[in-house]
Amino acid sequence: MKGRGLSPGKATSDVVVCNQLISPLGEISRDGFVTSGPCENTNITGKVLAFKGGRGSTVGSYTFLELKTRNIAPTGLINEAAEQMVVTGAIISEIPMVDRVPLDVFLKGDRVSMNGSTGDVSILNVKERRVATVYLMHDGNLLLLKRSQDMPSYPGQLSGISGFIEEGETPEQTGKREMLEECSIEDAKLRKIGKEIYVRNDGNLYGITPMIMETRTAKVKLNEENSEFHWIKPEDIQSYKTVPKFQETFLSLRHDWYLDS
Amino acid sequence: MRQLQLTKEEEKIFEGEMGDAPKLAIRLLYSLGELGEAERLIPIKSAHISGVSYKNVGEGGIQFLKKMMHKVSVPTSLNPLGFDIENGGPVDIDETFHKKQMEIIEIYQKMGVMNSFTCTPYYFYNEPSFGDHISWAESSAIIYVNSLIGARTNRESGPSAMASAIIGKTPDSGLHRDEGRKATVVVNVTEKLDYTRFAALGLFLGPKLNKNIPIIKGQKETKGIELKALSAALSAVSSIPMFHVDGITKETSLVSDSPETINVEKSDIDETISKNSAQEEPELIAIGCPHLSSEELDYVARLVKGKKKVGPDLFLFTSREVKAQSLESVKIIENFGGKVFSDTCMVVSPLSNKYSKTGTNSGKATFYLPLKGYGNQKVAFMGILDLLKWVIG
Repeated sequence: MKGRGLSPGKATSDVVVCNQLISPLGEISRDGFVTSGPCENTNITGKVLAFKGGRGSTVGSYTFLELKTRNIAPTGLINEAAEQMVVTGAIISEIPMVDRVPLDVFLKGDRVSMNGSTGDVSILNVKERRVATVYLMHDGNLLLLKRSQDMPSYPGQLSGISGFIEEGETPEQTGKREMLEECSIEDAKLRKIGKEIYVRNDGNLYGITPMIMETRTAKVKLNEENSEFHWIKPEDIQSYKTVPKFQETFLSLRHDWYLDS
Repeated sequence: MRQLQLTKEEEKIFEGEMGDAPKLAIRLLYSLGELGEAERLIPIKSAHISGVSYKNVGEGGIQFLKKMMHKVSVPTSLNPLGFDIENGGPVDIDETFHKKQMEIIEIYQKMGVMNSFTCTPYYFYNEPSFGDHISWAESSAIIYVNSLIGARTNRESGPSAMASAIIGKTPDSGLHRDEGRKATVVVNVTEKLDYTRFAALGLFLGPKLNKNIPIIKGQKETKGIELKALSAALSAVSSIPMFHVDGITKETSLVSDSPETINVEKSDIDETISKNSAQEEPELIAIGCPHLSSEELDYVARLVKGKKKVGPDLFLFTSREVKAQSLESVKIIENFGGKVFSDTCMVVSPLSNKYSKTGTNSGKATFYLPLKGYGNQKVAFMGILDLLKWVIG
């Protein structure tokens, strides 16, 4: 995964994931425990600590320095969205830090390797695969495909047109290739491409580049990867059972597309 | 991402030609500038440094301060410490704490920082004006001066405010630019709020807003001290650097194109207060987080004038200068049996050396005091009139 490097250095440790904002003053004790929220009483010494972001006191930076001085600091810090307090703490305490990494890619017991200079974060024994997903629109409607029962991932669930990005391909090229293979549609035009999002599925981590394309034809011819297709009204998307992060990714991408035009 | 460009002068500091402390300082500013996607550093008019109490700074912090020790280049005020230097208290402290605390103070004095020891430096020591670029730490003061005064500061940490004080500059990012000051959420509150209910509003909204700047509607009658209570509570439980109040603050035209809306009901505030109120009688009533203004000291004095205190201890916290300006009120409160401390407060002093149950009207203290290994208090959060019922017979 590619996050944003904020404080240099490398770390490889078990990850502690705290789905909460943390005030390093008060909510991390001087003996290295989280003192409130979902992670209350969790020790962070020698761990990579992943949490949403910092909050509260502007003195919080010193907490990390104190833990470092006592040799009970976390080995690395990961945030979804970092703010200045925690970053300052990481820099002055020489703890590697990366942000723009979603917390839901981590599972209990994961071991994480991170580089605070480049922003690279990887989970040990988890295979990263890059995927392109096309949200195909026709006349204001969105195409949903039902994945075949013998697909290795998410069988029977609704999704867009998607496939692995092959060596040397851009995500857009993958999208167009998959559209031809899965639906026999050739004429689609790219309207909006989004930032890579990450979805964890057991031993796999998918880095998915989402994109909206538009076609002039509603005629879809499926191959064996999908068993059904539906053109739906985008407003109704929430009533369908889709693959993880499918809906919110579409809604935010469509929002950005509208802002462009 | 845009690259932060340093001037020739700044480059020299970056390479260490002006010494180790300025080199460390500008390197920290550089990294934080990149975080905020700044293209340059801009001059500041003042700084305010947090990270003074030994309880917060610790041994690691002292080593860091020694490395950073260098004269500041702009007027710089300082946050409260762990006890009242001249009068002692609010609780007894051990010799090590005292020694370490004075060591920290000496470092700051050598740097040329003011002996203000307050979280409300905007009342006396360090009064920014509208539009000033400044570099302040202390979460409650940052949000107050951005919102009520219209000065411009990011949420600086203690170390980054110190770095800015040494260099005299800060990265031109975030709150220094109009774009970073725009409200992205409209908060409607129809009920008229008082001090404590504003504090409760802060505790309620912080986790919901996370880092989004709100514009609050329906509170056109509010006073500065009430917004001070909101400032402190909101910034304790979030990383929000600023808010706007329709009809009150000066930059309410800065609103994003399609803001979200949150409606706050009376029950939201009621529940926030009741959730944070232990029912037991406190051992201590602590008022003054953030530090009290003269107006607030006078108000308490009027309520207790001519009476004799019963029950729990009553402590009030303010700055040296505000205390000096309000000697009459201080005398009335002391005759009543209360105590007025300066230089320190209920959050940064080691209160748990003596107390385990504290009553307060501060939303900020209500967040910090119960935390295990930090404040270790059972807290009763309630309005000042209800608090004073414990001590007025």
